[in-house]
Amino acid sequence: MRPRARLIALCAGLVFNTLAQAEALPQRWVSAGGALSEWVTALGGEQKLVGVDTTSQHPASLKALPSVGYQRQLSAEGVLSLRPDVLVGTEEMGPPPVLAQIRGAGVKVELLSSKADLGAVEGNLQKLGHLLGNEQQARQLFADYRQQLDALQGKIKQLQSTQAAPGVILLVGHAGSKPMIAGKGTSGDWLLRQAGARNLADNEGYKNFSVEALAALDPDVLVFADRSLSGDQALQALLKENPALNASRAARNKRLIELDPTLLVGGLGPRLPVTLQRLSQAFYPTAQ
Amino acid sequence: MNRLVKPRTLFVALTLLCLLAIWLSLALGPVSLPLFDTLRAGARLIGLPVAGEGLEQAELILGQIRLPRTLLGLAVGAVLALSGVAMQGLFRNPLADPGLVGVSAGAALGAAVAIVGGSWVGGIPEVLAPYLLSLCAFLGGLGVTALVYRLGRHDGQTNVATMLLAGIALTALAGAAVGLFTYLADDATLRTLTFWNLGSLNGASYQRLWPLVLVAVLVSLWLPRRAQALNALLLGESEARHLGIEVEKLKRELVFCTALGVGAAVAAAGLIGFIGLVVPHLVRLLAGPDHRVLLPASLLAGASLLLFADLIARLVLAPAELPIGIVTAFIGAPFFLYLLLRGRA
Repeated sequence: MRPRARLIALCAGLVFNTLAQAEALPQRWVSAGGALSEWVTALGGEQKLVGVDTTSQHPASLKALPSVGYQRQLSAEGVLSLRPDVLVGTEEMGPPPVLAQIRGAGVKVELLSSKADLGAVEGNLQKLGHLLGNEQQARQLFADYRQQLDALQGKIKQLQSTQAAPGVILLVGHAGSKPMIAGKGTSGDWLLRQAGARNLADNEGYKNFSVEALAALDPDVLVFADRSLSGDQALQALLKENPALNASRAARNKRLIELDPTLLVGGLGPRLPVTLQRLSQAFYPTAQ
Repeated sequence: MNRLVKPRTLFVALTLLCLLAIWLSLALGPVSLPLFDTLRAGARLIGLPVAGEGLEQAELILGQIRLPRTLLGLAVGAVLALSGVAMQGLFRNPLADPGLVGVSAGAALGAAVAIVGGSWVGGIPEVLAPYLLSLCAFLGGLGVTALVYRLGRHDGQTNVATMLLAGIALTALAGAAVGLFTYLADDATLRTLTFWNLGSLNGASYQRLWPLVLVAVLVSLWLPRRAQALNALLLGESEARHLGIEVEKLKRELVFCTALGVGAAVAAAGLIGFIGLVVPHLVRLLAGPDHRVLLPASLLAGASLLLFADLIARLVLAPAELPIGIVTAFIGAPFFLYLLLRGRA
């Protein structure tokens, strides 16, 4: 009789325990993944963050938080030392044995999607909203997001019926030198196409191009992202290091646009609609 | 070279150092545990009947994170240092390091194939996936070393000079192949590859530990038995042969032990430089070139040094951590320069 009573007590304990956990929202968050940290912030969860990884650069206030290192190289004890209730990251987060150790310590590990499509964004927002206890706001945020993107797509389709899509390349560099060109399958390529451009680079991934190959592409518009410089400085450095670009149609017509390189990593973030808007305005200047 | 320290003093000092390193490695980390909790959790881990209330976290940190990591560090440090002694003995050159026979370059190539190739192929069986990287690194190290050894053989004799040059050539070749994979890799796999090349004891777990521990124990038991033969080899190959040493067999064993040991260490923890080069040097400086002292002392010193390096790696940037290869190189390279300049003066 006694063991049975103990068993019943144990079962009851387990049930109540899970119920209690289902109700208690995680209060201490570690976020590994740039776009995810931005979404957490957008959902009003910034004060719950106790640590972020090195790809979480936006908003700038996140940089003041303890850094748990690069998302693929987390340290189990390092993360645990922040006493988090939940660790959120994308499927890029790792290494797997460390995630197993963190789970083993009773921390909830939530793997979200870093895929560049709206379905992934919806799923991520749903999950984050659930964990933050404001599902309503998350739904609203996603509806706005989709609405903005849809409106832009509609406009671009209309524009493309009357004029040809401009040929564009995206260069990612370090103080101008040896820029990488964004080819197929990259987030940069996705951005360009969403904003209504034709990506002239047909290589896979990010690759270095020779000066000659770069000159041969002769884009209508040049988009550049620089990891160490910004604004006019980045542009001057790029043109100085790659004089062949000066002869391109884009440089002659001064159609050179800067892009924040942090937009290119870690899935689709909340800053995307504004960025796409800006790019498409640059691609179709006559539409305004 | 005269010895500065008596062997017995050295062994006592190194054993104490090693115990200190083990203790610190268990007691310190980004999560600060009260000393008393660490002691009690440690006592519970070795099966002493101590009350366990409020110790869940300490036991978890100690048992699941710090202990496997400490064991991994001990095994990797010991094996790398022993392989360093074996290589310096084989090549009769204090500048030799385990990388010379191509094992590190081969392992790096294996890792590149696993990381970059794995991302192309996809559909790797679920059971195999976590071990693929270690397995490829191990096989790569073993394969390239076997090739270097084969190239050094001629008419049943192993020519050490040819082996050395073959090792350099194959290292360059493997480096080029890794470079090609690096070029073809996408951003994500590139980062993984870079971090792997810097080594880390992060994420050590018992399941992945035992092959290395097995190899470490084998190598640690085997190499010291060859101490006399290595001493004889110091005099030169023909002298050793006249002293009754089977030189060909000895060379084969030394290369095999190094390939096995370094291959397993690299497979478990990535590339960690300088331990195999600096530790035997240091010990020789303190205790002279007698392999009967050099081998066991290097084992202790290598294990201790790696644990101390790992402590720095996990504490200095906490809660993030530094790859350990960076730490060992930062300690090792200046020390090596110091030895070089000191010898010149």
